[in-house]
Amino acid sequence: MNDEATSNADRDDDTTDFGYTRVDREAKAGMVRGVFDSVASRYDLMNDLMSGGVHRLWKRFTIELSAARPGQTILDIAGGTGDLAARFSRLVGPEGKVILADINAAMLEVGRDRLIDKGATGNIEVVQADAQALPFKDNSVDCITIAFGLRNVTDKALALRSMLRVLRPGGRLLVLEFSKPTSALLGKVYDQYSFQILPAMGRLIAQDADSYRYLAESIRKHPDQETLLGMMEDAGFGECRYHNMTGGVVALHQGFKP
Amino acid sequence: MTQHDPALLSAALAGAEQALNQAISLAPHSHQELDAVSGTLLGIEVTTLDLTVYIEMVTGTDVRLMAHCERETDAFVRGTLEDFAALATSNDPAATLINSGIELEGSSASLITLQQVIARMEIDWEAPLVDILGDVAGHQIAEGLRRFFRWGEGARASLKRQVSEYLLEEGRLTPPKPELEHFYDAVQSVAMRVERAQNQVEKLLAKAAARGTSQ
Ligand SMILES: C[S@@+](CC[C@H](N)C(=O)[O-])C[C@H]1O[C@@H](n2cnc3c(N)ncnc32)[C@H](O)[C@@H]1O
Repeated sequence: MNDEATSNADRDDDTTDFGYTRVDREAKAGMVRGVFDSVASRYDLMNDLMSGGVHRLWKRFTIELSAARPGQTILDIAGGTGDLAARFSRLVGPEGKVILADINAAMLEVGRDRLIDKGATGNIEVVQADAQALPFKDNSVDCITIAFGLRNVTDKALALRSMLRVLRPGGRLLVLEFSKPTSALLGKVYDQYSFQILPAMGRLIAQDADSYRYLAESIRKHPDQETLLGMMEDAGFGECRYHNMTGGVVALHQGFKP
Repeated sequence: MTQHDPALLSAALAGAEQALNQAISLAPHSHQELDAVSGTLLGIEVTTLDLTVYIEMVTGTDVRLMAHCERETDAFVRGTLEDFAALATSNDPAATLINSGIELEGSSASLITLQQVIARMEIDWEAPLVDILGDVAGHQIAEGLRRFFRWGEGARASLKRQVSEYLLEEGRLTPPKPELEHFYDAVQSVAMRVERAQNQVEKLLAKAAARGTSQ
């Protein structure tokens, strides 16, 4: 599966993966937008159901690894409904700043409402932005997180370079993303789950099996642990490493701007 | 960093943190004591489990447990599980600390305050822990049940073996037996619910398809 992902990334034409289908590069962004437009309002519920609540634990560890401190500026890219942003808001305090960025206005809309409900607004900025061309100054951010977002980005290398530019020297990037289960048995169970049960749940709850099938497929197309590590190094990040979580179903990659 | 699966460790810590904060909220007299050490960070390394946990006293009513922390600790203690068990239940923590095999770097003040607060409270550690642990292991296992086990006693025995192995090997945790029993039941019922939902979906799909062809 990994070879396929790599060769596809290298393929020098104008198409790219949309789940298991190959589509025009230009079209992918629009199609990804379609997926998230259609799931935005039920996104949080589905997240909980799909992962059995475990995504909260993955995010909890991501927050710990960020080592966020009062006064820092944290950028959460593809931040969607603002899960991580709300937690960072407390950690950086009133002198700090959290930027919640996402390409999708519908997701940000839900995010903004949720942050207001949680009373976390004073230090949060909401910005509609594409990970591949971040509209922020060079060296302006202490930490960047991107959770379950990188696999949706068309040109991942471009996005990683854009993140490096925005980070201050010594700043860190954390990429939380589905990855490759470390055991074959878990891999099988997980396949079964994501191609049978996940779309079924999507149909039942969000009346949208296609979007959830896309999610399952895009997960399989995403580079595995070592490939992503290499991509981060190629983009110029230093001290890169990763932590497997839940048997490698998810991995948290970390890298620093030299 | 430890080699434990961070998701499992986070589950345990989230559960313990919830139990602790719940108990603290019900014990108003402890708020002042904890407030006095607020802002301090404790590191606890349990050598037997190859595990380091950080405890941050955020405010008088909020304690945070972490698996990873890069801030410098105000106190760092290292010892075996037995050492810490003795300390947790000790009536004279300062003496126990000196006489046990626990190594201490930094000031013992916050550690002793926390010990005293915890020792006085009745904390229900198990309920939130099992809740959250159930989520993790349940997530990893429930989906595969339908395919890999047939229902009935055989399935249950096999599931039991797998879960015990998982908990022992990956989590190096040994929850008490009744909790595990309860957990197996919960997993079984989740798996059955998933199965039922899937059957329903299939029926709906078949109906929709039938309607599609009859038009
Ligand atoms: C699965 S959601 C993850 C949301 C959130 N981070 C979480 O963990 O719950 C993926 C998000 O990526 C966003 N996204 C997709 N492509 C993007 C891009 N090129 N730049 C920024 N965000 C993008 C989508 O709009 C969507 O909100």
